[in-house]
Amino acid sequence: MIHLDNISFDQCIKCTVCTIYCPVARATHLFPGPKQSGPDAERLRIKNPDLVDESLKYCSNCKRCEIACPSGVKIADIIQQSKWRYLKKKFRLRDYFMSHTDLVGTMATSMSFLVNFFMGLAITRLFMELVLKIPMRRVFPKYNSTTFRRWFRTIRKSQEAYAQKAVFFHGCYVNYNNLDLGKDVVRVLNAMNIGVEVPREKCCGVPLIANGFLKKAKKNARYNIASLEERTGDGRAVISASSSCSFALKYEYSNLLALDNSRIFNQVEYITKYLYSRIQEGGLPTMKPVHLRAAYHSPCHLERMGGVIYTIDLLKRVPGLDLVILHSECCGIAGTYGFKKEYYDISQSIGGLLFKAIEAAEPEVVITDCETCKMQIEMNTGYEVLHPVQVLARAFREE
Amino acid sequence: MKTIETGAIIIGGGATGCGTFRDLTLRGVETVLIEQSDISSGTTGRNHGLLHSGARYAVNDLESAKECIAENRVLKIIARHCVEDTGGLFITLPEDDPDYHNRLIEHCKYAGIPCEEIKTREALKLEPNLNPNILAALRVPDGTIDPFRLCSANILDATERGAKVLTHTAVESMIIDGGAVRGVRCRDAASGEQIEVRGEVVINASGVWGQRLCSMAGIELLMFPSKGSMVIIDYRINNVVVNRCRVPSDGDIIVPGDTVSIIGTTSRKIDYSDIERLEVDDDEIDVLISDGEKLIPNVSKARILRAYCGVRPLVAVSGNVDGREISRGIVLVDHETRDGVGGFITIAGGKLMTYRLMAEWTADLAAKKLGVKKKCSTASTALPGSETRPRKPKIRRFTGIAKSVVGSTFYRHGSRVSSILERKKKNYGLVCECEMVTAGEVYYALRKLNVKNIVDLRRRTRIGMGPCQGELCSYRAAGLFAEFGAATPQKANRLLIDFLEERWKGIKPILWGDGLREMEFTYWIYQGLFGLGDIADDGEDEK
Amino acid sequence: MNYDCMVIGGGLAALTCAIKCASEGLRTGIISYGMSALHFSSGSLDLYGYNPDRKIVSRPYEGIEELVKLNTRHPYALCGNDIIREAMEFFRGAVAKGGLELYHNDGSNHFHVSTMGTVKPTYFSQPSVFNETAKEAFEKRPKIALLAFTGYRDFYPELAAVNLRKSTLFRNLEVITGEVTLPIRTSKNPHEFRSIDIARIFDSERYLKNIAAQIMNASQGADFAGLPAFIGINNYQKIHQRLQELAGILIYEVPTLPPSILGMRVDNALKSRFAALGGEFVAGDRVVGGEIAEGVLNHVHTENHGTTRIRAKYFVLATGSFFSGGLVSGFNDIREPVFNLKLFRDNERNRWYSPRFLDTKGHPFLQYGVETDDNLNPITENGETVKNLFCAGALLARYNPVAEGCGGGVAVSTGYAAAKKIIRNLRGGAA
Repeated sequence: MIHLDNISFDQCIKCTVCTIYCPVARATHLFPGPKQSGPDAERLRIKNPDLVDESLKYCSNCKRCEIACPSGVKIADIIQQSKWRYLKKKFRLRDYFMSHTDLVGTMATSMSFLVNFFMGLAITRLFMELVLKIPMRRVFPKYNSTTFRRWFRTIRKSQEAYAQKAVFFHGCYVNYNNLDLGKDVVRVLNAMNIGVEVPREKCCGVPLIANGFLKKAKKNARYNIASLEERTGDGRAVISASSSCSFALKYEYSNLLALDNSRIFNQVEYITKYLYSRIQEGGLPTMKPVHLRAAYHSPCHLERMGGVIYTIDLLKRVPGLDLVILHSECCGIAGTYGFKKEYYDISQSIGGLLFKAIEAAEPEVVITDCETCKMQIEMNTGYEVLHPVQVLARAFREE
Repeated sequence: MKTIETGAIIIGGGATGCGTFRDLTLRGVETVLIEQSDISSGTTGRNHGLLHSGARYAVNDLESAKECIAENRVLKIIARHCVEDTGGLFITLPEDDPDYHNRLIEHCKYAGIPCEEIKTREALKLEPNLNPNILAALRVPDGTIDPFRLCSANILDATERGAKVLTHTAVESMIIDGGAVRGVRCRDAASGEQIEVRGEVVINASGVWGQRLCSMAGIELLMFPSKGSMVIIDYRINNVVVNRCRVPSDGDIIVPGDTVSIIGTTSRKIDYSDIERLEVDDDEIDVLISDGEKLIPNVSKARILRAYCGVRPLVAVSGNVDGREISRGIVLVDHETRDGVGGFITIAGGKLMTYRLMAEWTADLAAKKLGVKKKCSTASTALPGSETRPRKPKIRRFTGIAKSVVGSTFYRHGSRVSSILERKKKNYGLVCECEMVTAGEVYYALRKLNVKNIVDLRRRTRIGMGPCQGELCSYRAAGLFAEFGAATPQKANRLLIDFLEERWKGIKPILWGDGLREMEFTYWIYQGLFGLGDIADDGEDEK
Repeated sequence: MNYDCMVIGGGLAALTCAIKCASEGLRTGIISYGMSALHFSSGSLDLYGYNPDRKIVSRPYEGIEELVKLNTRHPYALCGNDIIREAMEFFRGAVAKGGLELYHNDGSNHFHVSTMGTVKPTYFSQPSVFNETAKEAFEKRPKIALLAFTGYRDFYPELAAVNLRKSTLFRNLEVITGEVTLPIRTSKNPHEFRSIDIARIFDSERYLKNIAAQIMNASQGADFAGLPAFIGINNYQKIHQRLQELAGILIYEVPTLPPSILGMRVDNALKSRFAALGGEFVAGDRVVGGEIAEGVLNHVHTENHGTTRIRAKYFVLATGSFFSGGLVSGFNDIREPVFNLKLFRDNERNRWYSPRFLDTKGHPFLQYGVETDDNLNPITENGETVKNLFCAGALLARYNPVAEGCGGGVAVSTGYAAAKKIIRNLRGGAA
């Protein structure tokens, strides 16, 4: 059976440029690179699905090949689809837990103290390494004791006063792991005279897609599309503080999961782009200086969306901020990829260039838009990593 | 001058020549095959590669239809690695005469061709890219056949049994002695050496070029060439052969062949003097694409890789040329009875599908002349590469080699795959990245498959047949010719130039869109970066 | 976004233009779709290599003066020799500030040896391709060893050697070939390495001693060794130097099949220069259209930014030729896809190409492109001149980058010329 829903492989003119920019192929020889795994092999897989190569699984879906491609080939999409379509699927408990962030998050936050405690124990980590194949060296994010949604309920009333409102798709990370970021988002938006609404939502599906839980990913996607459609009927924007969540809502839903998200497509924005537009309309409050030397790292998925310029623009407006913009490199973690034993070394090796560049910049903090990039950088460099919105929150602080 | 003594001489390395070559060798006849260019480089290699069920002929030519279905069943066994049992559909479009559908069912019954009417829904499930507006669909046992592999396997079998093949060797004259043909004089194009090949029987299997060969023996046998053009789509846009259920005409079939799909065919009478300079006309491409689109709408979105054409010969048996005596079927002429010239046989007409049957008849006649009793065994003896039992091609694993590489090699060489992909790392370095041709496969082809230049190599391995049309692999292949000692570095330069020019012939007529981008890029590399055109010009000056 | 200058395209012309603008303090952005053709180039910059009779030009500026008399709509004719000279110097300076030195021959062409061993005239080269020592060494009629790397598929020295021996420059020289084996153990089949894989091994500096020893051995007392061009990317000048010292022999790089490491070094140098000047580079996004009213392009919009308008006082269109998508061809038509600008082209498909592929005069389609006025401003389909949009690089019509050996020169000159016009207009407007 031939699936021709992504026929962009047909446009590949074999220029080899994607092979240069693939961070995985640079780090490991086990991955033959995006050209061979994507457009080259796609023609063969269409001919005979048995010709699928196991090496596809090394692709971390960072999408850097798509940025490099001058021919518009959706290389990473082709590879993801081939993984699900042609590779034999094995159920792994680890992948299940890692990708079902809603389920795990709900359980973990309800007993966050215990979870954070046990995750800190060597014996737990040894067990995880041996049984679940999650490397001991990998640092896990801490869980909040309460969720963002629960906190938001306490302040929801205060948001009703604002004439202009934005729908905040908070995502799992803000909800379970980084309540402070969620609070900062509300603070920044409020400072710009924008009220916050929180829609009903499920995990955007990025980890599910990465781990092959396609049905569940589609189910979540449909749920989110329906929920957001309700909220955006009047043209209200949906914002997310996670570059990967916004990428999924905008692109993965339509390109990879083949769902119709056209009614929310133009409404969904990564937060810095949204803030940028509001500032263009003149909504920028006076900023107080933030005296920090910061290195900015642009996440792969934000690069792919072209959203980096907005983040940089905002950061450049913050007085006192001494900003070093790092050469765009993949940090290597690629969501759940770097949490798996079989990819751990690759992930670390990919990030090597970035870590060196950060050290060389001698910053006080690192700024990045993506939660897993943050985990990877914090674990490998020891620097505190802030979200751009957190920097803005400091600039908007009331003294 | 070199002289070769043999039993039978076959002139022409098309499917019929190769089949006869093998047939006679299996009967124990010492045989030499002479081909002016490369194996399967003429009409044989220039069709759409359909393994006919016979249904296409059922309405107009019942006899051909019966031959086709019989050979279809034979080839699926003896040439397993050259054919793919894709199945075929005959679909009726809203603008087509609905009556043809019923006539086809009826005539398939007469011919013994399994022809099953299926629901359009089912047809669309079988071939999801089909035009959704079809009115009716029939299912027939069509398949695909790779003529290059087929010929190569026939030659390989014969040469492994001791027969001799001379490619790139053109016949210059006939040796006639006592009213009978006793051999030929020919010339090796590369060395310029003249070779005399003497034998008891000379078989003219040179298709449309046979007219010239006959005239060398003082015989008039007229051929009426007609040109058929096809276009190749970058990938397999369909997995099942799709025929249009109507009276045969232009652009009524799309055949999935290996990694590509081919839209066939046009049919235009041409002058005999034009057979050496065939070109696809722009309006033929228009017809093929617009009619192809009616079968599979995605055609318009896909990239066209090449256009090419072949020439079908129709033979005037009696010398009466007003058309009525022109045969569309198999023509076997014993010139001893027809023209009083002994030791000379012409086999012409027919189709790729019936090559084995034609070879059997020819070899029967030749064997009679040679006094050889042994019967034909080609219908039951598997070709090299097809020896293993029929089953779904399961791709064997070779440690360290990607399945896509193993599988592609398996497609091309069947069970010979293991001798090609030895576990030496250098053997599985990729040369052609589109079609997954390894250095090991190139080495095997150079050693075993009568490869004299990169164009020949392409027919054995699909090198340069993928989307990039040789952009990366041409240079690599030229390098390997030098590295493996198959050509001097000087010659390898020349082979590279010739190959790129040969690829260009089929690209020119479809130069737009991504195809044009591809060629701009290829031009940058080979002229901009390499300066290969300057080398070509210097070469011309030296001549 | 509000820019002084927004450059559409990310190749040689675009980067030259953007760097010039940014260096003058303009807020400059680049929107680039896919990596540029530099990644497939020789890494040398050709200014003008062949005259219309395909004779090698040794003094390019003089040659250009002759050329523009014959072809008055050639992009060089629109720039003028003074701007071209200025552009070349600016380019060399920009690349140097980006960390890459370029060799030049005081306004004359020099040559570099191609993958096939042909000798090509060029204007700027990386010192590992040609330099002063090479010039001196040549007068001594040296012995040259062209070396292969075992299993590396994208350079075969034997094929090059036969042509090299035939060229006038090398006719009396001894050219030998040899082989070097990378001393690495890897899970990957080393026979599948591309130039980029090997360049990274060189960058790691791990095996230099071993490789140098092998080079010394394989060159059999030659004065020169020619290696496929992959002696490092980021740190190549140091590694090249080190390798020459260790091997005790002059080492030159010969371009390979793509990807071109030589070209990538130029690309890297230009991009880091642009970043250092505070330029904003958006990669992987395609400008799909814009609003032109009364001869002014107000804003553009892109695939990724959806309804967001990108505004600038001036725009530069440097989207390249067909390869990079600057021009699009269909079954029987050729278009400029962003603004549907007026083109020079033929609409009969069978006149787009030459009968021979390797025609040294080039194919007609290589000369198609946007036809601008003398000011590099394009004209819309309605015959309206767009005053704040400039065109530069391979997108332009009426020149033959390969046959004339001027692709790089035209890109840099027109990119630079466009920048000068923008700067002048902005400054003029302020005054």
